[in-house]
Order: sequence, then C-alpha cells, then structure tokens
Amino acid sequence: MDAMTPIPATQAGGSPVRASRVRPGRRVADRMLRIASLLATMVGAVVLGSILVMLIWKGVEGFSFALFTQPTPGPGSEGGGIANAILGSLILTVIGIAVATPVGVMAGTYLAEYGRGSRLADVIRFLNDILLSAPSILIGLFVYTLMVRPMGTYSGWAGGVALAIIATPVIVRTTEDMLRLVPGTLREAGAALGAPPSKVIMSVTWRAASAGIVTGIILALARIAGETAPLLFTALNNNSWFSPDLMGGVANLPVMIYQFALSPYGNWQGLAWAGALLITATILLLSIVARVFIRDQRAR
Amino acid sequence: MSASPALRSQLSGRNPADESAPVRIAVKGLNFYYGQFHGLKNVDLNFHDRQVTALIGPSGCGKSTLLRTFNRIYSLYPEQRAEGQILLDGQNVLDPKIDLNELRSRIGMVFQKPTPFPMSIYDNVAFGLRLYEKLPKSELDGRVEDSLRKAALWEEVKDKLKQSGMGLSGGQQQRLCIARSVAQRPEVILFDEPTSALDPISTGRIEELIEQLRAEFTIVIVTHNMQQAARISQFTAFMYLGEVIEFGPTTKIFMNPEKRQTQDYITGRFG
Repeated sequence: MDAMTPIPATQAGGSPVRASRVRPGRRVADRMLRIASLLATMVGAVVLGSILVMLIWKGVEGFSFALFTQPTPGPGSEGGGIANAILGSLILTVIGIAVATPVGVMAGTYLAEYGRGSRLADVIRFLNDILLSAPSILIGLFVYTLMVRPMGTYSGWAGGVALAIIATPVIVRTTEDMLRLVPGTLREAGAALGAPPSKVIMSVTWRAASAGIVTGIILALARIAGETAPLLFTALNNNSWFSPDLMGGVANLPVMIYQFALSPYGNWQGLAWAGALLITATILLLSIVARVFIRDQRAR
Repeated sequence: MSASPALRSQLSGRNPADESAPVRIAVKGLNFYYGQFHGLKNVDLNFHDRQVTALIGPSGCGKSTLLRTFNRIYSLYPEQRAEGQILLDGQNVLDPKIDLNELRSRIGMVFQKPTPFPMSIYDNVAFGLRLYEKLPKSELDGRVEDSLRKAALWEEVKDKLKQSGMGLSGGQQQRLCIARSVAQRPEVILFDEPTSALDPISTGRIEELIEQLRAEFTIVIVTHNMQQAARISQFTAFMYLGEVIEFGPTTKIFMNPEKRQTQDYITGRFG
C-alpha cells in the first residue's frame, strides 16, 4: 500500500476537507470498508434474488386451477393439486396461532406489567429467549413424545400444538416490547382515576399497544406458516382429504414440499415448486401487513 | 429587594387568600424515600378548601413528590415509600387499610404531558364514571357534557365525541384530561406542571380553567413558572431540598417573604 499517494479530498461523499488534516491511511480504510460492505450486501441480495427468481419461474409453471381444487396425486398418477395441503396448512396454522395468542399475550403482559423488575419475570424472559431460538425439530420431537406416542397416531392436533410452541415465544416477546413502549404516565393516569391494574391493562395499555401486539401475532403467523420440521413428527402428511376429527396424518404444504421435491415424479416436483411459491407469497403478504400495523403503532 | 415588577404585576389584587377556609388536606410529619434517597423531610402543610395552592421550588426540591403522595400514585413503584400522615378530611391517606382505588376516585390528577387514553373523547371522559357508578345512558351523557363544559372543551368537541381523543391538539388533550378528572366529582384536583408542555395560548386557557374550577374543588398545582403561581394561586409553598421552607398566602410569599432562601428564589438568584 502506498500511503503517500494523494487521494482526492471529496471522495468520501462528504464536503471537501483539507487533505492535510486527514491521514491518507484513513481514506483507504474508509474506502475498503465501503467496498466490503457493498460486496457483502450484493452477495446477500444475489442469493436471495436468485432463490426468488428460481421460485417464481418454476412455481408459476405449476400454477393451475387444479392446484387449488384437487388433492395431492398418488405415486405415478398424472396431474393433481395441493388443495388438501393448502387447507391442512391453514387449519394447522389457525390451531397454532389460536393456542399461542392467548398464552403469548398474557405472558407478555405479565412480563411488562405485573412482573416488572421481579426475579421471576427475568427468569421467564430468559427462558422465552431460549425457546425463541430453539431448533424447531426439537419442538417436533417434544410434541411427538408428548402427544403422538401416547395417542398412538399422528394428528393435526399435535401439529397445531407444535406450531403453537414455536409461535408463543415470538408473541411473548413482541407483546412485552410493545407494552413497554406505552408511556408510564398513561398507566399512572389510569391508576389516578381509581382504576384497578386489570382495568388499566385491559382498557388502556393493551389498547395503546394494540397495533404492535397484532403485528407480533402476524409475524408469528408468518413464522409458523413455513415450518416443516415440527410437522414431520406430528401432523406428518396425507395424500387425501383428511377426516374432520384431525386424527391421523394431516396434509400440509411444508411437509408436502419436502416429500414431493425429493420424489422422482415430475408432476410431484412441479406441485412442490408451486407450493413453495404459495408459502413464500403468503409470508411476504403477512410481512407487509405487519409492517403496515407497526407503522400505525409508531405513529401514535 | 422583593419580587420583580413583572412578577408583582401578576399579583395585583387577585383573589386574595381565604385563610379562614377549612383545611381539606393536612400533611403532618411526612417523610418520603426513593429507595435510600430521602426525598421529603418532615413536611407539615395545610391545604385549604376551594383554594389554589401552588408548590414552587427548583427542580428536584420534592414538589412533584409531595403532590404524588396525596393519591399515593407513587405506590405503583415498589421502591418508593412514605411515612407520616396525610389527612384528607381527617382520614389518613397513608393508612395501609385504606381503599386505594376509592381514594383515587376522590382525588383527580392532571399530568405534565397530556394523557388521553386511546379511545373516543366520550369514552375518555366516561372512563372514571363507569368505574364506580352504574349510570343510565342519558345520565352518563349529561355527566360527560357537563364535565366537558367545565373543562371549557364542549364547544370544540360536541360534534366529534366519537372520535379518538388522541386526535386533539395538545391543549385540547390537556382539557380532556381535566374533564376526565372533573367527571368523577373529586374533592381535590392535583395538577403536576399542567402547562409546561403547552403553548402560551393553551396555557392561558388552562389557567383560566383552574381559576373557575376553584369554585368547586380544592386545587394543588406544581409549577416551575413563578408568574403562573402568582397569577392563579391563593397560597404558595416554597420547597427546597425536600423541605417546605415557607408557606403562606401567595401575595405574602412573593411580596414579603420571611426566609432568605424564598427571597433568593423568587428574585431569581437561584433555581
């Protein structure tokens, strides 16, 4: 490196500076950091971009009316759709979020309101953070031991519970964070009117944080919509329409993709691509909705 | 040297203190602690019925702390505690057996920053009413209107009662909070620097309002603004480092203070 090479003073994007005041080494370091971060960003964007392009290219090919009306085809048979997997995924996700929402919101409320500053709350928060990053296959195995083995069958219920366990820590975390954003004076104002804490929480703080809490629920929804590992051991899959009692395997998109993508049949592979595109589009949509909600929350 | 001419002009002959008014709140030997920090030291002070008492003093002198003991709002924070007596109509507020929520429904509080709840204007005002009284709709409507009138806000919001209270201007939000307090028909209203976040016009309206509210309520106001204390209060307590240095009719405190520290503060030599 030739440290004596003069470098134009304006290159850092700022206003002209007298060259003598800045050591040339710093300019070189600045330039290198800029190039390095740009390269890293490009690598990330290119990888993501090619996944998306590939997904759209291959996925759109598989889109047809039958995709949404027919169940998954048997091995070696032609055509078919993924209607049963779509419906199954929808039901599993709804069960998961229906279980996770009350638990998550209540636990987040405890952490932010009742348990503020208490040791118990610190422990719960720590455990929740661990659960937040727990490998999802572990949760699948946990529910397998807890529900599938005793019940003697794979079931939609077990799948829903596994998804709920993944969604809960997300909701706990966002609920707590959003409630903490509510100014303390609002709680004081509620208490000063003689409202008991439960009333202040339900009619004032929850309302003030509602958009943020809903965002957390939507993000949790997006998170579990594409989870595969916890379903492998719980809901498994099913190539036909499921029975209404949710016992036995329940078809769902992620496991369908996993199985069909590895199959030797061309039509199965096409359906896997289409399913993958469908999930990705759903998650994208949920993320956008979440962003709109969070913007509302910030605007308050 | 006593108060500056500007300050003195604010005083001129307005609503003299009624020293014969009955005592509504009597503070006796009050000590307050934030953990280890001794925030209030042996405070003895009387607050007269239907008079405005201003608490003045430099930042950190304990004036807000004192205000926050009257409805025990400090008890939301476990590390804060008070010792001594605060008698509201003869009943000790600090008695652990007292029903806190009932006490707080008898004492209104208005904060520095407006605190409208994220609900409609109507529901904001009705919030406190619905807690303790089961009123039929028509009566509730009447109380809400009455409270908004008392807070000088009715004319501005009567056509948008269903809209969110968060959409009002800062000054309107503060008057909404006053209406919310007034609606409960409290005996005492506490104001904690109610105008320090407001523009001069809104400040003027709030001050007028406080003067009108004095007809019905005992008022305690914490203020950083000495001219405001001079304009709206009948009694003034000067506090410094957690102690009440001097208390008396506002005119006396500003024109003829007995203590050196009071004089230094009101003449702007410190604070």
